[in-house]
Amino acid sequence: MTAIELDGVTKRFGDVTAVEELDLTVPEGEVFGFLGPNGAGKSTTINVLLDFVRPTAGRVEVLGMDPQADSVAVRERTGVLPEGFSTYDRLTGREHVEFAIESKGVDADPDAVLDRVGLAGDGDRKAGGYSKGMAQRLALGMALVGDPDLLILDEPSSGLDPAGAKEMRDIVREEADRGATVFFSSHVLGQVEAVCDSVGILRDGKLVARDSIEGLREAVGTGATLEITAGGVTDDDLGAVRALDGVDAASTDGSTVTVQCDSEAKTAVIGALEDAGVAVEDFSTRESSLEDLFLAYTEGEAPSDAAGDAAEGVDA
Amino acid sequence: MSWEAVARKDFQDAVRSRWLWVLSALSVLVFAGAAVGRLYVGGGNQQEAAAILRGFLFYLKQGTAIIIPLTALVVTYASITRERESGTIKLLLSLPHSRDDVVLGKFLGRSAVVTLPVLIGFVVALLALLPAASGLDILVYVQFALLTALLGVVFVGIAVGVSAAANTNQQALVGAGGLFAIFWFLWNFFVTGVNRAATDLFGLSTPDQFRLRLALKILNPIQAYKTLVDSLFMSDLEARIRMFSMLFGMIPNQQAARALGPELSPAFGDAVVLAAMLLWLVIPLAVGIVWFREAEL
Repeated sequence: MTAIELDGVTKRFGDVTAVEELDLTVPEGEVFGFLGPNGAGKSTTINVLLDFVRPTAGRVEVLGMDPQADSVAVRERTGVLPEGFSTYDRLTGREHVEFAIESKGVDADPDAVLDRVGLAGDGDRKAGGYSKGMAQRLALGMALVGDPDLLILDEPSSGLDPAGAKEMRDIVREEADRGATVFFSSHVLGQVEAVCDSVGILRDGKLVARDSIEGLREAVGTGATLEITAGGVTDDDLGAVRALDGVDAASTDGSTVTVQCDSEAKTAVIGALEDAGVAVEDFSTRESSLEDLFLAYTEGEAPSDAAGDAAEGVDA
Repeated sequence: MSWEAVARKDFQDAVRSRWLWVLSALSVLVFAGAAVGRLYVGGGNQQEAAAILRGFLFYLKQGTAIIIPLTALVVTYASITRERESGTIKLLLSLPHSRDDVVLGKFLGRSAVVTLPVLIGFVVALLALLPAASGLDILVYVQFALLTALLGVVFVGIAVGVSAAANTNQQALVGAGGLFAIFWFLWNFFVTGVNRAATDLFGLSTPDQFRLRLALKILNPIQAYKTLVDSLFMSDLEARIRMFSMLFGMIPNQQAARALGPELSPAFGDAVVLAAMLLWLVIPLAVGIVWFREAEL
């Protein structure tokens, strides 16, 4: 069984294409990390799953149902931590949870829910006085009510301190152990790396990678990150670098050039930059991390193929 | 049913707004004021006291006819658009509520918010009236309070419909304010205009012109409310004739009396007028529900 299936989904807002021809399948029981920079189309995709917006084209299935036709049935079995929400300022934390319990028609102890998300003792306070992180915890608590089969968490760690983000990950793991499918989005790889079975990376509305965490690790395991200090480099100067064999991606912020490449391609990269008239002041190399790969996918020139291909041709 | 949960939550939320307390105080003041006034002015003579109460309600209705629709619109116009602008709608619709249930729940929750002050005011006034009340007074008073509450509910329905159909607070404000202006200031121009056009086209007789104008006037929920209140003290016919009167209905229009009398057609009876009011409850709500189904959040 698949928990989520997107088939050629496109969503346009006027002239802007937020999501383009997206194919994505998340099997039941998987913890899936939906990665991508802000504005890549992650929230739009999630909003399509929840029927907050309707796709311009394509087919969507959530828990085997059409989220538009069976919207309520989908949400009866789905816990959602939405993006860009706000709480009801005049209602207390406990009243929010009670509302979730009543809405889902289940029997649950609001205090146990508040305790689980770290809001024990804050239940009688008005949610209007909560910090961003507390509001985030409250919405997570509401999502967890009724032990849903599917959890959709949109940027769940935003507003949380590192300790809070860890608690969030612990809860995700507990939910996965219970058998729930977890679909969560983030623009920070570190938050999904530790809990996800697999990830998809979205960029400019297109899926640029879909792999397991292990697969991604293998992909970067032998690559190198080259950081070159050189002033006044424009994106055009990087064309020659990207054309080189063994180079996965190259980007610049004007003063530093960052290149993902095989170890033996380093010299060729420096050479190509100097040929382009760039004065290289300094450079350093280090072994690539998953973070580097993620940044290469989301910031640099998009690689043409899926993440698995990044491992090809590496022997250093 | 899920609209119950939405309604309860909405009421719980709105009841903590200062608005409700301002409204309650105002409503208690208006209703109890009329009751206390009656006690002061009305002497021992039951007959005379009843007449004084009628007099009070007759003018009180001019106040309620403007205050109740206005407060219902103010309390309700942003009920859905504000949730969309702040993002609470995402929390709401993350839970298993259909969009129809959200609109219906809002309507019920805000209806309670608007009718509660009216009923509190009515109970306070009733307590003030009790010492000198005759059975008739109380019945008229109860009917008056119920009609006033219904007027509030009708305008809550209109405002929830507008709020569901609008994309922003501003659109909802323009929509609700526009409707209020139409009902209060522009409706009679519209009635006159339609009547003139119809007369030119079909050469209507004078009685037909009055019947047409009456039908159009009844379609205005505020005018429908006023004439239903008048029906509490006078015959249907008299109450309908008052709709054509000058100076807040103090001077009856003789032409209208001749055109509509001596027997009022059942087509203009109280039941039909009430149905016209309920139409304003159902249609905007239905339009809002359909539009909100298509909305992108």
